[in-house]
Amino acid sequence: MKTFRIGVGFLLCGCVIALANLAFATEPANDPALTEPPLSDLDRNYWAYQPVVRPAVPEIAGDTWSRTPIDRFLLAKLHEQKLQPVEPAARLTLLRRVTFGLTGLPPTPAEQRAAEEASDFDAAYTEIVDRLLTSPAHGEHWAQSWLDLARFAETDGFEHDLVRPEAWRYRDWVINAFNSNLPFDQFVKLQLAADEQMEASDPHRIATGYLLAGPDMPDLNSQEERRHIFWNGMASNVGSVFLGLHFECAECHHHKVDPISHHDFYRLRAFFETIDLFPGKPKSEANDPDDKSSDAPKRKLPVERVVWNKTDDTPTSHLWLRGDFRRPGPEVTAQFPRALVHQESLPSFPAAHGRRTALAEWLTHRNHPLTARVMVNRVWQQHFGVGLKSTSSDFGWQGADVSHPELLDWLAAEFMESGWNLRELHRLIVASAVYRLASYPVPAEDGSISAEQQQRWHTLTTSDRTNQWLGRFSRQRLSGEAIRDAILAVSGELNRKSGGPGVLPPLPPDVASTLLKGQWPVTKEAGEHTRRSIYLFARRNLRLPLLEAYDKPDTNLSCSRRNQSTIAPQALHLLNSEFVRTTARNFAQRVTEAELSTDARVQEAYRLALGRPPSPPESAAAESLLMSQDDAPSGWHNLCHALLNLNEFLYVD
Amino acid sequence: MFCSADRASTNSSRRHFLTQCGGGFGALACAGLLAAEGQSSGSLPRSHVAPRAKQVIYLFMHGGPSHVDLFDPKPTLEQYAGKPLPESFGPVMTRRKVATNPLLGPIKPFRKHGESGIEVSDFLPHIASQVDDLCILRSCHGDSVNHPQSVYQMNTGSILTGRPSLGSWVAYGLGSENRNLPAFVVMLDQGAGIKGGPPAWGSGYLPATYQGTTVRSGATPILHLDRPADVTEHRQRELLDFINQRNREHLALRGGDDSHLAARIEAYELAFRMQTEAPAVMDITQETAATRALYGLDEKETSEFGTRCVLARRMVERGVRFVQLYSGDTVGWDAHENVLTNHTRLCKATDKPVAGLLADLKQRGLLDDTLVIWGGEFGRMPMSEQGKGRDHNPWGYTVWMAGGGVKPGMVYGATDEVGLRAVEKPVHIHDLHATILHLLGFDHTQLTFFHNGREQRLTEVDGHVVTEILA
Repeated sequence: MKTFRIGVGFLLCGCVIALANLAFATEPANDPALTEPPLSDLDRNYWAYQPVVRPAVPEIAGDTWSRTPIDRFLLAKLHEQKLQPVEPAARLTLLRRVTFGLTGLPPTPAEQRAAEEASDFDAAYTEIVDRLLTSPAHGEHWAQSWLDLARFAETDGFEHDLVRPEAWRYRDWVINAFNSNLPFDQFVKLQLAADEQMEASDPHRIATGYLLAGPDMPDLNSQEERRHIFWNGMASNVGSVFLGLHFECAECHHHKVDPISHHDFYRLRAFFETIDLFPGKPKSEANDPDDKSSDAPKRKLPVERVVWNKTDDTPTSHLWLRGDFRRPGPEVTAQFPRALVHQESLPSFPAAHGRRTALAEWLTHRNHPLTARVMVNRVWQQHFGVGLKSTSSDFGWQGADVSHPELLDWLAAEFMESGWNLRELHRLIVASAVYRLASYPVPAEDGSISAEQQQRWHTLTTSDRTNQWLGRFSRQRLSGEAIRDAILAVSGELNRKSGGPGVLPPLPPDVASTLLKGQWPVTKEAGEHTRRSIYLFARRNLRLPLLEAYDKPDTNLSCSRRNQSTIAPQALHLLNSEFVRTTARNFAQRVTEAELSTDARVQEAYRLALGRPPSPPESAAAESLLMSQDDAPSGWHNLCHALLNLNEFLYVD
Repeated sequence: MFCSADRASTNSSRRHFLTQCGGGFGALACAGLLAAEGQSSGSLPRSHVAPRAKQVIYLFMHGGPSHVDLFDPKPTLEQYAGKPLPESFGPVMTRRKVATNPLLGPIKPFRKHGESGIEVSDFLPHIASQVDDLCILRSCHGDSVNHPQSVYQMNTGSILTGRPSLGSWVAYGLGSENRNLPAFVVMLDQGAGIKGGPPAWGSGYLPATYQGTTVRSGATPILHLDRPADVTEHRQRELLDFINQRNREHLALRGGDDSHLAARIEAYELAFRMQTEAPAVMDITQETAATRALYGLDEKETSEFGTRCVLARRMVERGVRFVQLYSGDTVGWDAHENVLTNHTRLCKATDKPVAGLLADLKQRGLLDDTLVIWGGEFGRMPMSEQGKGRDHNPWGYTVWMAGGGVKPGMVYGATDEVGLRAVEKPVHIHDLHATILHLLGFDHTQLTFFHNGREQRLTEVDGHVVTEILA
C-alpha cells in the first residue's frame, strides 16, 4: 500500500487524504486501481441488481389470521419454520406502539379511553392510524431518520463549526414532505435536482439542501481539496442512502467485494460536479464575468443552502488515485454504476444542466432495482426495529441476508405502483396482523396464561431468539428524541409549534465549556426550549447530552440504524438532571391540579407516562411511596420522577 | 500488575457478570446480544500480543508545541537564523504562507541531561531531569496543516471528523477495570474547548459507551453525578427502590428474558454507586505534602495542570484505562506571534506537573504498566511568523512516550537539519497509533469494528509498529 516518495519517507494514504508537501513520484502505469475489473456473471446476476418483479402472494389454506398480504408472506415463512405467531397485543399496548411509531409521541389518556371503549376496535384502529398519519407530529418524527441518513446539521463541523443560518429550511422541507405525503420519487428528484427542475423562486429548491447537508471545512488551505472531500462525501452518501451500496470504499480503491470500481465512484461523483460548489457569492451576483473570487472561504451573507449548476463550460471529471486530490487519474464521464445498468449501450448525459435530473429519473424508474427496495426496507426497520434486510444501507454482498425476500419485493412493487406513496406504505404495514402481535404473553382477564399460549411463546423464543421470523413483536427502546419529547408531553410542557430556526435550550455549564465561546447562545424565549427535539439546533460538534447518551448519532457519518446502548450515564440523566427533575415537578402539578382522589391521580399519572392504568398492586405501591415522603407535593414530585425512569416508559412493547 | 483496594474489593460474582458484558463506562448489555442485534457491532476483541501497558495517560499539548524549541535541538537552525530556508528544501505547504519567511533560531539553549545525555531545552528543566525515562520520537509526522484536522488525526487516525478516537478504541479493546468509573476520561483545560471540539474524544461508529467522558476536577466531576438539590441520599434510595421494584415486575411479566431490560436495572445501581465512587477519586485532600509539592499543587502557575496530573494518577490506580489531559485552551500552544511568551507560560504550567507525574508513577511502581504520551497535534515551523512566532508544522515533530514497555532514555528518528520534515525513520501518526496499540496488547490490524461494509480500524489501511522502541 505504501509508495516511495522522493525526499521524505512514505506516502500515507489509503482512505486518508495525504496532505504532505512534496511532489509525488510518477504513478506507476500498472497501478491496479487504474484497471477496472470486469463484471462477472455472478455480479450481474446478483438479486439486488435485478428489477423488482412483483411476487405472487402465498396462498395459505385455512388462513384466518392474515389481515394484509404482508401477513401471508410472513405466515408462509413461519410455517416453513414450523412456528405459529403469538396472540395480538392488547389494545392499549398497540395504541402506544402505533402512536410512538407514527408520531414519536405518547398517546393521551383521552385517546386511551377512547380505544378501550371502542365497540369495534378494528374500525377504531383504522381511524387512529389515519389521525396519526395526518398529524403534523408524523413528519416531525419521521424526518429525523432521514436527517440521520443525510448527515444533517446546522453547522459545518471542524474547528469553527460555523453556523449555516438557513440550513433549518431543509429540515422543515423534509418534515413538510412527509406531512404532505410527497410521493417518494418526487422526494428523491427534488433533493437531487430541484434546481434543474424548478423555477429559481420555487420553495422546493430547498430540497437540494440534502446535497449540502454534510460536514465541510471552509477554512482549509486548499479550496480544491475542500471541494474534493465534499464531493466525495456527497457521492458516497447518495450511494448509501438511495442505492443502499457502500460507495465510500471505492473513493480510494475498487470495492473489495461488491462490483463497485474506483471508476464507478468517480463516475457517480461526476453527476454532481456540475454543481457550483462553494461559490463566493449568491447566485444573483455569481454571473459577473469579472468575478474571480470563487475561492473565497466564507460567505458573508446568509444565503439559501441550495445548489445550482456552474454556468461555464462542461466540467471535466477525473478518477482521483487513491482518493488523493492531488493525483488526478484518467478522465471519467458521468455514468450509472456498471453493475446496475443492463443495456449494451450506455446512456450519455447532458453537458451540465440536467445531469442530476437524469440520475434522479434513473433512480426512480420502475425498473430501478434498488431505490424502492432500499426505502421500503428503511420504513420496515423503523416500525419493527430491524429491516427485512438488517443492514439497511448495505444491499451488497457483505450485507445481511434478507429474511423475507419475496415480501421485500412485493412491498417494493406495491410502493412503486402506489405512486411511491409513503403514507399508504405505513398504513399497509401498521394494518398488518404481524405489526399488531404481542411482544410478551398477554394474560387473560383473570391474569392467567394458558398452557398452549405458554408453549407457543416458549417455542418461538427458543427457536427464534432474534425474532427474524417475526412470530412476535420485538420490544424497542425509544430514540433519545422520543424520550425527551415524551417527557415534555407527559408533563404538559411540550410546545407543539412547528418549523423555523433551530432552538438552543440551556446546556449544563460543564458541557457548554467544551465548546468555543459563543457557540451556544441560548434561545431567549424559555417557551421555545420545550419544543420537539427535531427543532433543536443541530450543532455538528455537540449533541444535546441527553440525546447523545441515548445514541443520537454523530452527524459526520450517515446513520442508517441507531445503536441501542445501555449505560449508566443514561440513568444519571434521568435521575439527576435539572431538566428531568423540573419536568417531573410540572408532571406532578399537572396530575394534582384536578380535584381527584389519590387513586384517580395515580391512574392519571400512569396513563400519562405509561399509556395504561396501573394494576391494583401498582396503585398500592404508588400510594405507599406517596405516604412515605415528607409532604404531598414532594411525594407526587418523586412519584412522577420515578415514573419517568421506568423501563416501561423508555421501551415500547 | 498492580492491585488497588478498589480492584481487590470487586466480588467474584460481579466480576463474572462483567466478563460476560462488553463495553466501557457502565455498559451492561451483553456482548453477544449486541452482536446479534446491532447492525454495526462485532464480537469483542481480545489481546493479540502480550500487553506491556495496561493503561495510558495522554498529555495532549493542544495547539502544537514547538519541537525545535523543546526536544529537537537544531544547531543549524541557530546558524541560519534570519536567513530564508535554502531552496534545496523545495516548496513547503504551510498554514499561513510562511515558507519564505526568515528562519527563527531556537528560542532557548539546549543542554544534555541525565545518563543518556539527551538534549532538552531550558524551557523544560523538570522534564529534563526525567529524560532518562523518556523515549523521544523526533520524526513524527501527520497530514494536515490545520488544527482540527490534525487534532482529529492525532486522536482518530483520520483528518476527517466522526471516527472513533484512540481512547475509544482502547476502551473497546480492553474494557474497564472499574465499572464504576469511565474507561476513557478526558480532562480539558479549564479555559475553553479545543479546536475541533468533542468529536476529538468521540466514539465515532463505536457504541456510545466507548466515548470519552469529560471529567472536571472538583465535586461534580461527571455530568449529572450530583443528586438534585431537593433530594437527599435517603430519598433517592427510596426512589431507586421503587423504580427497581417496578422494573423487576415489568421484566418478570415479560418472561424475565430481556437482557436490555435487565441491564437497565443494573445501570441504576451502578449510577447510584458512581455517585459515591467518582467524587472519592476526585478528592485529593488525602495526598501528602510531598506529593503536593512534587506536582506543584501549591504554586499558582502549576496547581491547575498539577491537579489534573494527580487526578490522572488516581484514576489509573483505580482502573481507568485511558486518561487524556489537554494542556492549553482553544489557543493553547499555538504560538504564531511569539514562541517565547507563549511557551514560557505553558511550559511553566506543565513542566513540573508532568515531571512530578512521571516521578510519582515510578515511585509507586505504576510506570511499568502505564504508558505516558506527550505531544501536540503537530509541531512548529523553523521559519518565523510575525518575527518571533512560528506556524504549524505537521511534516516533522516530536512526541515522547514513557513507561509502559517503551525503551527509556532513547531518541528515535530525526527531522532534517532545520526541523522541517521527518527524514530519518519517519513515524506517521498511523505508526504511532499502531505502536501504542501494540504496547497495550493489540495488533492494530486486528482491532476492528465492522461498519459501513468493512472492518474499520484506527490505522485505516496503514500503520507499522515501531519495534525499535519496544523495551
